[in-house]
Amino acid sequence: MGKQYGFYADTSRCIKCWACEVACKQWNGIEPGTIARRKVHEVDSGKFPDTHRTFVSMSCMHCEKPACKEVCPTGAISKREEDGIVTVDKDKCIGCHYCFFACPFGVPEYTDAGMDKCDACLGNGVKIDEGEMPHCVATCPTKALHFGPMDELRKMQSEKVAKEVVSGSSKPSFVAS
Amino acid sequence: MNKEGSLTRRAFIAGTAALGAAAAVAGTASQTLVAYAADDKKTGATSSNATEIKHEWCQMCGPARTHCSTLCHIKDGRWTHVEGNPKAGNNYGRGSKTLCAKGNAAMSVLYAPDRILYPMKRTGAKGEGKFERTTWDEALDSIAKKLKEQKDQYGAKSYGVLSPQFYAVLGTMGRRFLNVHGSPNYLHSAICNSQRMFSRLVTLGGPNHMGANGTDPGQLAKTKLAVNWGYNSENSAINQGNPTARLDAMEKGMKTIDIRPMQDAMASKADMWVPVRPGTDCALAMAALNIIIQDDLYDHDFVANWCHGFDQLAEHMKPYTAEWASEHTGVPASQITEMAHMMGTIKPMGIYIGNGIGDQQNDGHWTVACASLIEAITGNLGIAGGGSASMVPPKPLIKTNSIDILTDRLPKTEEDEKNGYMAGVSDLVGPETPRWFQTMKTQESGPTTAYFKGINSILTGEPYPLRCIFGQSSNPLSATRQPKKVEEALKKLDFYVVMDTQWNSSCDYADYVLPAATNYETSHQFGTKNSPAGTFIAINQGIQEPMGESRSDWQYYLDLAQKMGYGDDFWNGDMDACLREQLDGSGIDLDELRAANDGIFVERTDGAKATEPAYQDYAKMFEALPHGKVQCYNEWIGNKPNCDDTGTISPLPVYNGPAESVAGTPEIAKDYPLVFSDVHAYRLCNHSYYVDVPYLRELQPYPWVKMNPATAEKYGIKDGDWVKVESPHGWVKLVARTMEGIAPDVLMSRRGWWQKCDELDLPGYGHGDGGSEVNVLYDSDPAHFDPFNSAMSKQTLVKISKTEEAK
Repeated sequence: MGKQYGFYADTSRCIKCWACEVACKQWNGIEPGTIARRKVHEVDSGKFPDTHRTFVSMSCMHCEKPACKEVCPTGAISKREEDGIVTVDKDKCIGCHYCFFACPFGVPEYTDAGMDKCDACLGNGVKIDEGEMPHCVATCPTKALHFGPMDELRKMQSEKVAKEVVSGSSKPSFVAS
Repeated sequence: MNKEGSLTRRAFIAGTAALGAAAAVAGTASQTLVAYAADDKKTGATSSNATEIKHEWCQMCGPARTHCSTLCHIKDGRWTHVEGNPKAGNNYGRGSKTLCAKGNAAMSVLYAPDRILYPMKRTGAKGEGKFERTTWDEALDSIAKKLKEQKDQYGAKSYGVLSPQFYAVLGTMGRRFLNVHGSPNYLHSAICNSQRMFSRLVTLGGPNHMGANGTDPGQLAKTKLAVNWGYNSENSAINQGNPTARLDAMEKGMKTIDIRPMQDAMASKADMWVPVRPGTDCALAMAALNIIIQDDLYDHDFVANWCHGFDQLAEHMKPYTAEWASEHTGVPASQITEMAHMMGTIKPMGIYIGNGIGDQQNDGHWTVACASLIEAITGNLGIAGGGSASMVPPKPLIKTNSIDILTDRLPKTEEDEKNGYMAGVSDLVGPETPRWFQTMKTQESGPTTAYFKGINSILTGEPYPLRCIFGQSSNPLSATRQPKKVEEALKKLDFYVVMDTQWNSSCDYADYVLPAATNYETSHQFGTKNSPAGTFIAINQGIQEPMGESRSDWQYYLDLAQKMGYGDDFWNGDMDACLREQLDGSGIDLDELRAANDGIFVERTDGAKATEPAYQDYAKMFEALPHGKVQCYNEWIGNKPNCDDTGTISPLPVYNGPAESVAGTPEIAKDYPLVFSDVHAYRLCNHSYYVDVPYLRELQPYPWVKMNPATAEKYGIKDGDWVKVESPHGWVKLVARTMEGIAPDVLMSRRGWWQKCDELDLPGYGHGDGGSEVNVLYDSDPAHFDPFNSAMSKQTLVKISKTEEAK
């Protein structure tokens, strides 16, 4: 297998502008008012005036061991050899929701066409093998969201105060700082 | 639909627990599985292959803006996707493909189901909403006939135009039309960068108002402390470079203080957040200035050599202590002192002075003046990393011409001659700044009336009523305070003409409503960007023909000019001739420009780089100021008539406070205990527009009011409940959204919400009592406006209670 690709969200730079969410929708033809492959989550801590807001943009974790793939009865979910991106073949999906219950992060969503989640923009023609960025990353105005081989992202993260946002036996390909 | 703020259970738990905030969300992490509306359309991915790409300047920060160059992907004639143009140098420079959320949703502006497609003529009573379709010819004939009649009967000054935000069409064509027609009544918003520029100009000097010396950091990489005072670039200018540049500097150790009522995104990253009560920043600024003087944190050499009236200022400021300001601002005295000490000791220091303090409160002038004086007396002006002193970029490689607004055509009246005024000033219906102050140095684009004062003249008849108003891309029922009064004025107005892409709520009161094309349907505007790498130029190419009979906002003026007999001054109706005139001598040909699908970039090959500015060049910086010195005691405007000739302006700082406030009007606070204000700019809208855009509306479906959870609990309100918010001036319905990043006695909201969103089956809301337009809550008595720049209170006191959903 080639390098495992994934996302890095730098919360020290995220300003919750929602550009990544809307870019994801327009490039992937998501109907307004339905699903969101990517969402900016907000976490408030403390009490006024000693309070703090943190923002983190999250989508599918493209796990090294995708639990969704394990449980899919029709083989609709694949993990690509070359970059580790987890994709869905909607023609094979029967909408059983097994993957939703298996996913530790509640990622899979469903439309009439089947299970829907982030595919790192492979489906809309972004050539990640040529170094092109998924649209959420390309549009991020503050350089808060990054995509690439996990070893490179972990190196970027190591220069910041690392935050363990997600972890688990599925080995998510996502880091945050 | 997916309700705002709802997260799937596991993403929520995973995200929050891992960020170390599990305790903060305990009890709320129930199994909130979101039910998504079934959609009969397949939501598959679309292919980006085989598409045509065209260049457009993004319209989402307002029509006639050229901030962000975009590449629009068109498939089978339909615009499907948009991205930032990496060739242009948007945001952080060449290679950036970034856009904000609004920019990413731009397609909806072109394809909005509610576009106005034909010229419409009112057939019913004003406000009744009865219109019939007419032709452009008939509409323009009628408008021209009316303008000529009114000019004969009441003088050309009876015609005024609404200026929303800076709007290139109005600033060039609109002003040219005013000048040729003979009216000075450019109804400038008084909610604008101009307010801050006027105040900086008269305090810190500069060659003219556009070039007024600034306090914001000119070279962020060298700044040690950046103070963000009511400045909101993470909402208003996300993709224009500032948030990214500040984050870069913060990573390298720059400290920040953020002074804003809500803990906005950049405030959440600041070293100190100062949650000031809305409308009281002037008290905070006066106390900070006083502390810096009393605690001897000022630059003695600078003060001795370059300040006029420092001793008078020092004496005058003595009563304005941290304790005094704390009463007004709600900020603890100890924090005010600490803030002032940071500003007085960390150098280089720069202050971003935002709309929030300059023009969104009735003490705007003195707030900006005090912040400017803090920057000056601490010796931070004109030094690397301090105020102004930006690097000087090499000259643009493409030089275009601006449209001549024919200033010399505006007649100089006898009154102007007698008073020594610039042409047209005597005729202003409601001067935005004092008449004596309006000169070609201070307002080089011409005289201005304040937006609200112009509209108010219709009701008062003082000094005379405007008879015709033209509103282009501006909804006066949302753009200024007190829509109930504006509605009354529009009903009384002789003749109101609107040109817009959508039926804004003021259209019902218009005599004619004209269909505007979006910038995506015409090719009438270009823009340039210059950097050390080179110069970029591009034009809107036009994605498709204008929908229905919609026309470009530029073309409107040319067409009306023909009907008025002003054709010779307006290129005889030929917009391309106007564009060629602007490109003349640039080396760029209009056809070549229109053919360039990602614009034209001329690379700098001479090796020229940005150069260091002249530092501490104070003799030149302060040249235009009385005595050539910073005005600690203001001789330029002090003891001279205010804008309304109802009194004089103080030469030293004054704090009035909002029309209603906790400490200023305790008798009102007894019944209305909470402070209320709204954000000036927000990242999901352009002022009151784009609430209809589905990708933006789904993020915030309902008009909101932010409140502290403790406040909500006190009034039996839960997050998501509809709340009645009532001030002494009116009442609205809003949805409560709780957050800790706001003081328990403060509520913050967002104005607008008149647009419905058909795709999401969400309504628009009214502008009167019981609607959701928060401007209805505010005072609008001109006696309370800023005496120098006409800024109005946008803060009041309210009481709240749970209510039923607004329809």
